[in-house]
Amino acid sequence: MAPGSAAAVTVPAPIAGHTSNVRGTGRARVAVALLTPALVVVLGLFGGGLALAVAQSLGAAPVTGDGTLSLSSYTTVLRDPEFVSSVLTSLWIAAASTLLALALGTAAALTLRSSAAVSRGLALLQAALPVPHLVGAIAFSLALADSGLLSRLANVAGLAGTPADFPALVQDPHALGIILTYAWKETPFVAVVALSALGPRIREYETMARTLAAGPGARLRHVTLPLLAPALLAAGMLVFAFTFGAYEVPALLGRSYPEALPVLAYRGFSAVELDARPAGLAVAVLISVVGALATVGYGVAARILATRTSW
Amino acid sequence: MRGRRTAAAIAGLAVLAAACSAPGTSPTATAQFTTFEQVLDQAKGQTVNLYAYGGDQGANRYIDEVLAVKARGLGITVHRVPVDATTTAMQKLLGDKQAGKTSGGGVDLVWVNGENFRTGKQAALWDCGWTDLLPNGRYVNWADPEIANDFGTPVNKCEAPWSRAQFAFVYDSARVSQPPRTVPALLDWIRAHPGRFTYPAPPDFTGSVFTRQVFYATSGGYTTIPTGYDHDAYQRLSPALWSALRGIAPSLWRSGTTYPTSSAQLNTLYGNGEVDFTMTYGPAEIDALVANGTYPATTKAYTLDDGSIGNTAYLAIPANAANKAAAIAVANLELSPEQQLAKAQPTPWGVYPAIDLTRTDASWQQKFADLPRSAHVPPFAELSRHSLPELQANWTTPLDDGWRQEVLPR
Repeated sequence: MAPGSAAAVTVPAPIAGHTSNVRGTGRARVAVALLTPALVVVLGLFGGGLALAVAQSLGAAPVTGDGTLSLSSYTTVLRDPEFVSSVLTSLWIAAASTLLALALGTAAALTLRSSAAVSRGLALLQAALPVPHLVGAIAFSLALADSGLLSRLANVAGLAGTPADFPALVQDPHALGIILTYAWKETPFVAVVALSALGPRIREYETMARTLAAGPGARLRHVTLPLLAPALLAAGMLVFAFTFGAYEVPALLGRSYPEALPVLAYRGFSAVELDARPAGLAVAVLISVVGALATVGYGVAARILATRTSW
Repeated sequence: MRGRRTAAAIAGLAVLAAACSAPGTSPTATAQFTTFEQVLDQAKGQTVNLYAYGGDQGANRYIDEVLAVKARGLGITVHRVPVDATTTAMQKLLGDKQAGKTSGGGVDLVWVNGENFRTGKQAALWDCGWTDLLPNGRYVNWADPEIANDFGTPVNKCEAPWSRAQFAFVYDSARVSQPPRTVPALLDWIRAHPGRFTYPAPPDFTGSVFTRQVFYATSGGYTTIPTGYDHDAYQRLSPALWSALRGIAPSLWRSGTTYPTSSAQLNTLYGNGEVDFTMTYGPAEIDALVANGTYPATTKAYTLDDGSIGNTAYLAIPANAANKAAAIAVANLELSPEQQLAKAQPTPWGVYPAIDLTRTDASWQQKFADLPRSAHVPPFAELSRHSLPELQANWTTPLDDGWRQEVLPR
């Protein structure tokens, strides 16, 4: 029962990544060959688009610009208070959505694992996965708007009189509508990742901890969550990078000010004035930089986790 | 080794393919055609990719069910490409231009006006001169300043008029018995009815027109504003506009802490009874919206007595269009009294004619006079009685940016 005893049972765990190094290089070649088609598409289409965006954000616009490259659109963007508030808004949306999805997704996975209806529960979770974010956002706007479904139900129940009495959940100051939509959409993703990580190995350690008298709370804290952490970290990084850079949900449910970064970027890009395009592209490039930083942060965090769990 | 040889072969093929498809520049329509008969000849069997704003169901139905059917009679297939905003079509044209694609472009005809037309002219994206080829051009009063200038930008034979629009306010007569008839009265009404009015945040097209409509009033009338953008005039006249708009902000929906980000959002607010007014550049769409239950049956449209902004929508042909002959033939078809009348019919679309009705014969004039009266929208003659032209397009961006800095809460 004592927490100390539970800690004592977290015996060295084999780390999956370390076992493959002994295999020959032939396997690596096959892996490269198999990855090549995907890499060509990613590097060609995505990398090409990114390179074009960088070039045009620096002023390389064959139609309108004079062709001289400069960082002026970046200095303009970085000095603009609207950009700063957009960065804060996007960070808030991404951080809150990620934490919420991680908490709910982990809880769902742990509940489903010990339930008899695991396959039915999994099917339910997976049903939400293919729903496009755009459709989710529209559904949430229909449900949460001042005159939406929830508000009408509240009215029938005598809780809210006019639409204006209903609390603002879309276009609201705290981006709650956006965060809820992302939480709904990303929770199943986290849950599916966590469920697949909750393999028999973790079960063994949990049983071992149980025989050593660790209670459910201690098992969760000292055995299950530490072993799930690498998978959750990876899922969280993906959710963060996605919710930081995605356009459609904040475009539909966001306020006119402050805008999420992708909305700000698109407004600049699609402005009627052609000279506003480099600034819009500069914002888009900066979004990619944050995404890249998140990946680097993930790498660092994953290494720290690996050293901590492989005593 | 074999892998390397295959790669070399593919690279060689790619070079060959690039050489074969090396694009030549599309000839301008005037260089290609001297008579309209040549145009019709070449148009047979072509498909026109018509890029059109897809958010107007009436327009979509008109293009698919009326225009496309009529064009088939000329051997032309009309393929409507819906876009969320005309800027999307412009992005495609600019992308083509940047990639050096000067012929075989995928956009043949664009429903366009205002800032987008000006942008396209700046970047030389349009084919010009072809409007002289149109036999039905005889129905157009090319000298009318509201036809000859598209938001102040001279049309210069780079686009053909398609329809007219009139900016109108829309209200629910069950809730508003006496709608305000002037801009100052409207501002008073807003202050007296907190939370029941709002407008889309510029640069949304409709929100942008609303601010210009207020700008006309706070500046002492359209004529006091220089038609082309003038920085001194902006400095002198805009503070009154910003203070008027800031003055009503606390009385707007959500106390002006945020604004609908699109006119579609405002229409939804109106349809759900969250606000008592909406506004539109296409009041003729209202009948259909009432009929399908989106708007309450007590909806009415009107224009203010101190003026309402009107403009003309056009069809333009990109310089790199692949199917110019068919595009010209469709633009001509659309200027016939028959098509202009079909377009003015409340179903499916109901949009105002761009031709000068006095140039059509008496029987056509009678048919236009016999158009069904709407219970919700006054006839065009009444709507356009106090029509005011648009400012030049180069005013739009300073006013939109100014609104974001001066009015939008931070």
